Amino acid sequence: MERTVVKIDNLVKRYGELTALDHFSLEIKEGEILGLLGPNGSGKTTTINCLLSLLSFDKGRIEIFGKEMTPTSYDIKKEIGIIMQNVAVFDELTVYENIDYFCGLYINDKAKRKQYVDEAVKFVGLEDFLKFYPKKLSGGLLRRLNIACGIAHKPKLIILDEPTVAVDPQSRNKILEGIQELNKNGATVIYTSHYMEEVEQICTRIAIMDKGKKIAEGTKDELKRMTRNTETIIIEILDLPKAVRDKISVLPHVYKTDYDDDKLTVSCSGGKHNLLRVLGLLQKEELSFGRVYSELPTLNDVFLEITGKALRDKEE
Amino acid sequence: MFLHELKYELLVCLRVKEIIIWLILFPICLGAFFKMALYNVYEKDIGFSTIEVAVVENSPNSTLHTVLDNIEKQDDAFLKATYTDKEEAEKLLKDKEVSGIIFSDAELSLIVDGKGMRSTMLSDFVKTYNDRQRIIMEAIKNDPSSAQSVIDELSKEVSTCTKISLSDGNPNYYVQYFYNLIAMVALFGSLTGLHITINNQANLSALGARKNCSPVPKSISTLASIIGSIIIQGVCMVICVTYIKFILKVDFGSHLPLVYISAFISGILGISLGFFVGAIGRIKTELKTSILSSVSLLSCFFSGLMVGNMKVTVQKKLPWFNKINPAAVITDSFHCLDYYKDYDMFITKIITMLVMSAIFMLFGFLISRRKKYADL
Repeated sequence: MERTVVKIDNLVKRYGELTALDHFSLEIKEGEILGLLGPNGSGKTTTINCLLSLLSFDKGRIEIFGKEMTPTSYDIKKEIGIIMQNVAVFDELTVYENIDYFCGLYINDKAKRKQYVDEAVKFVGLEDFLKFYPKKLSGGLLRRLNIACGIAHKPKLIILDEPTVAVDPQSRNKILEGIQELNKNGATVIYTSHYMEEVEQICTRIAIMDKGKKIAEGTKDELKRMTRNTETIIIEILDLPKAVRDKISVLPHVYKTDYDDDKLTVSCSGGKHNLLRVLGLLQKEELSFGRVYSELPTLNDVFLEITGKALRDKEE
Repeated sequence: MFLHELKYELLVCLRVKEIIIWLILFPICLGAFFKMALYNVYEKDIGFSTIEVAVVENSPNSTLHTVLDNIEKQDDAFLKATYTDKEEAEKLLKDKEVSGIIFSDAELSLIVDGKGMRSTMLSDFVKTYNDRQRIIMEAIKNDPSSAQSVIDELSKEVSTCTKISLSDGNPNYYVQYFYNLIAMVALFGSLTGLHITINNQANLSALGARKNCSPVPKSISTLASIIGSIIIQGVCMVICVTYIKFILKVDFGSHLPLVYISAFISGILGISLGFFVGAIGRIKTELKTSILSSVSLLSCFFSGLMVGNMKVTVQKKLPWFNKINPAAVITDSFHCLDYYKDYDMFITKIITMLVMSAIFMLFGFLISRRKKYADL
């Protein structure tokens, strides 16, 4: 039976009138990559800060590796690697020195530390930048350094709090691949993000948060099964008559239509050949249309269905 | 773990531009400026060995001869007379080889070249001589039997100035600017102290949060930072004193080792002040930096960095303030070496600095010892 690495039980955290975590519970098993998904302000970072014993909380209990987590749980802290949302490195130290410094907080043995630092450098691909100061690094490279500082000591539990914010696609892919590799090497990972694509890509299990509560939990397939949407058809079409839209609305398996900005969105639940049926109807009505595409349900659909709002703001 | 932290604390401090600028480059520039602007004036007016004066005797004056001979025989003679005729004396004055001409008639009269400390002293000498000559003549006229005792009494002191140094120090007015400069460097060390709290507090920086997540106890981490900062600050203080003493050639008297000790301890005071201010509340780092810079400059202002007699003015109006103003306490410790022969006052000032440092450190530790925060 898989060992429980993290157990959060009935956690409540209030900032004055605002309840940031509302009886939040979660269990993370050894070897998992758990994604904490939620919009900004949903309580992901607060959960992480409570987990790390940086924040006090009003109610609840947190156990890591079977022991209660407190600020002086140094034996537990030794096994945790943290990659903060904000880059936390010394501007005055080079890439190598930064990694060596943070690794040295966990590893006393110099030879072992050197080996670990070299491995971490290689892992994040910063071999060519060892003597660079953080200010000379691009945003993506800086994030990679941030990660190297957090994982160099080979922790059993790695916590990544939105590590890909403001990162270029190349670095983002490198980071995500790296997390999967760390997991393959035996680390349990907690990954918070509001990018559902990332969470879908790497997480073995996902907990969706909103307003400090866990609103859904499961694998991505389990979560997607929670929504009635099985397919979303999008068709670019000019001047769609209302009568035609009404006809589409009553086609089999169609449960919702939207027409906005010359774009028809048809949401379907179950069934097969939904796209063919919609296109057939448009052809019959002698309407010309542009680009057509079909999307499978996303975690955003799950979030939308549960909360009635999108997971990400439009500008994000 | 402690040594690992200490090693990197030293490395970080050595590379912080603000430290290089404010603790090394700025005092070097300001010190050079003080030297150019003030010290030349000092050397011209006060830093003399002897005032050269030409004496023109229109009638022989053996008393004047005796007085001048006695003055010249002293170890620290302030006058050196050249007996000559009027034309030659005027030439010497024009060539600035003498500071004035004393004409000896029934009374002495004086011609000087411009104003200044030397002219004032010559003028004082002539005035004193004439006054005393009159008193003696009056005594001879009124009571000849008492004339000798009057002469003996008056002859005891003919110098226009009295040596005021009570020690082997250097109690000149201009050195205080350099003492204030050292105090300013010490107090700018508060910026280093500020970074100790910023980098170790989870609620003040991401770096602090990451360090708080490590298995190194916060007390060890903070202690390593403090010791590292004290070492760097100490080096900056030594550089500052060495530069002022050996490059600018400012005379600190014969207590140089004690000046170094006092400067080092004042550096600790600066760091502890910064550590304390850094620990107070969750104010933005930039604001805390501004507060500390302002406090340091104001402290130095009231101690006389910008206006020479400010400390005296403060002493008259708010004497208690000079006792708690860090810059005043620091400069006082240097002045004590100049003005007092024993070390009681110096030790008192050193203890005051250490007590102030201990209080700042203690409160800084008490405020920042928290390991969990209500808000980040």
